[in-house]
Amino acid sequence: MRSPPIPEMATQEVQLNETLAHLKTESDNLKSKLEEERAKLHDVELHQVAEKVEGLGQFVMKTRRTLKGHGNKVLCMDWCKDKRRIVSSSQDGKVIVWDAFTTNKEHAVTMPCTWVMACAYAPSGCAVACGGLDNKCSVYPLSLDKNENLAAKKKSVAMHTNYLSACSFTNSDMQILTSSGDGTCALWDVESGQLLQSFHGHAADVLCLDLAPSETGNTFVSGGCDKKANVWDMRSGQCIQSFETHESDINSVRYYPSGDAFASGSDDATCRLYDLRADREVAIYSKESIIFGVSSVDFSLSGRLLFGGYNDYTINVWDVLKGTRVSILFGHENRVSTLRVSPDGTAFCTGSWDHTLRIWA
Amino acid sequence: MCVCVGCVCVGWSQPGILQIGNPLAHFRSIMKDGIANNSTASISQARKAVEQLKMEACMDRIKVSKAAADLMAYCDAHIREDPLIVPVPASENPFREKKFFCTIL
Repeated sequence: MRSPPIPEMATQEVQLNETLAHLKTESDNLKSKLEEERAKLHDVELHQVAEKVEGLGQFVMKTRRTLKGHGNKVLCMDWCKDKRRIVSSSQDGKVIVWDAFTTNKEHAVTMPCTWVMACAYAPSGCAVACGGLDNKCSVYPLSLDKNENLAAKKKSVAMHTNYLSACSFTNSDMQILTSSGDGTCALWDVESGQLLQSFHGHAADVLCLDLAPSETGNTFVSGGCDKKANVWDMRSGQCIQSFETHESDINSVRYYPSGDAFASGSDDATCRLYDLRADREVAIYSKESIIFGVSSVDFSLSGRLLFGGYNDYTINVWDVLKGTRVSILFGHENRVSTLRVSPDGTAFCTGSWDHTLRIWA
Repeated sequence: MCVCVGCVCVGWSQPGILQIGNPLAHFRSIMKDGIANNSTASISQARKAVEQLKMEACMDRIKVSKAAADLMAYCDAHIREDPLIVPVPASENPFREKKFFCTIL
């Protein structure tokens, strides 16, 4: 039998609940007002404006190189600024640096953990960063001496309280931005391992991030399991814009080359384009026949094409302005898990659960 | 294959959609449920959310027509330099080149 609550505590609880309810109402009102303001500026659809744009011709894109060597699912890859080297990481803990022209492996490191979900090439080309289930992001300087043991020079930079989902160097080799299953993103100093800034706001795991092109300033976008894509100010740690139109986890986010927009790919089988200055979603790239999630997205150099790697083993190529699909590419024998266009736009690389990477051009 | 030992990873189904095994979901944090049940923490969270929304409401936005025009202008200005749309001659694209590199052992 429960004893009746003490009168003072009961009043306190009632007060707290009232404040909470009041705040919830205020929050709901603000959200409606935000939607109203956004809607006022929604005078036209992107694909309508794009009707007068010339259509794209037929595309002949095929696999030009296949990189074989991973013993398990490829989870992540990144290009070096030299447009020829690639770093990739896989479920079995291996991180490999390849020369994409010749398909030779230049370096290989075995991480102490499995599921290396994130890897990135340093802007100088002299180091790679990677991490995953170890909850850390580690930096390995690449040695010109092929015999040197890379693992010996490993530097632990980031520490999260859950898995590392993505990492990226900023403009220099000195700072790394990470996102994690612990719901936060963080900016780290590589040399000291010090946490420079942390970014809180996602209500669930953060799965991806992308830095704005350097001309547009110090911001980055992140996407998470809370279906939200957040844009952050790197200096203040503040979330400056938030978009919640996806119906499931956002697996990948990528800035449009001008920095004024970004695309996202989600488990809801759609890719979407969000314009930052209009502060809203301006396009959805979907088809009824596409029912499997998108794992990764990237733009071609001009921003006219959006490539999406899907869990149904295909790559769909979208006309960003018209909203139509221009091509579908087959080749992988399992999920496409990662996709990046090369720095000069001459090719794009995909990594897959079929253990291989493919270069398409 | 799921990395977890002893669990059956059959997949998460949304109505009409079968996702074939999402092993990572097992490692996903319990943040979704883990937000403190404590009233005071919820209030501080709700306050932060309200502050965030107020800040977002102050933003200067432009019309979609203007934003779309700018996106189109960017594409137009750069499309000729986009090697995946306007292909460069095969001899200039190292990936499309026919010749293969050999290393001398």
